[in-house]
Amino acid sequence: MTGMLSDAEKERYSRQILLFGEDGQERLKRTRVFLAGAGGLGSAMALYLAAAGFGSIRIVDCDQVDLSNLNRQILHGVSDINRDKVLSAQESLTGLNSEIEVDALVETMSEENIDRLVQSCDLIMDGMDSFAARYILNRAALKSRIPLIHGAISGYQGQATTVIPGRTACLRCIFPRAPPASVLPALGSTCGVIGSIAVTEAVKYVTGTGKLLEDRLVLWDGRNGCLDELACERNALCPDCSEL
Amino acid sequence: MPDGSRREMAEGGSRIEEILNKLGINPVEVIVARNGMIVSEEETAGGGDELKIVRFVHGG
Repeated sequence: MTGMLSDAEKERYSRQILLFGEDGQERLKRTRVFLAGAGGLGSAMALYLAAAGFGSIRIVDCDQVDLSNLNRQILHGVSDINRDKVLSAQESLTGLNSEIEVDALVETMSEENIDRLVQSCDLIMDGMDSFAARYILNRAALKSRIPLIHGAISGYQGQATTVIPGRTACLRCIFPRAPPASVLPALGSTCGVIGSIAVTEAVKYVTGTGKLLEDRLVLWDGRNGCLDELACERNALCPDCSEL
Repeated sequence: MPDGSRREMAEGGSRIEEILNKLGINPVEVIVARNGMIVSEEETAGGGDELKIVRFVHGG
């Protein structure tokens, strides 16, 4: 995909070209994003990535759409129940923006296939629902030196940070151990808040604008309407990134 | 504290893991910031340190 914008693209993106210029928009067009997950968080991330004009989105998820997903997984509708989530996602995203390419993969992410899945991508977006999966993403990001934008949610709460391999704390530095697995409450609007923060990070990273959430963990407490931030730093003994 | 409350503790340089245990908090479920910086539970805190204990989330 070339980075040149057509007249239709210049029109479509005119309001954000005001933010970062045609050069920034062309950079978005040339960017290949790996999006892990087409669930609640993945839905919010995917829709804003597509709308912003990231030229290529590779989305991976092994699940099918269930009625109980529809309170938050806004990529999917009633007619998508029982369909593969990534196929429903592909349809929604190309329906929103026909200028982009969406690669839909029905796969379970694992240590065995992750290097192939992220190959040739410029950015990794974390829309996963467990730390076991996030550690796989983290290691792949570090190994391939691809920035990783982390988001997670539960109920009214969410968090986000940006990992730049070799420069910032990685996910394992911040969260050394996975919390016990459990079924968590999930609210679509919380996915929207965190997904939006994550895509804003992606846009800033690619266009070279603003200040990234490097070594900063943003915490959203929707119940009390508070946004907080904690500083973090690389752990010299981190099992995942100390060798970088 | 994870529930948003504040608690004053007279600690003279205790390991954060011990402080969490004393508070009945499972260290696996939280991250701890000492004076605004996330630190390992192996680190110590005391004196005028302010600890923020946050229950992080893992859903998606």
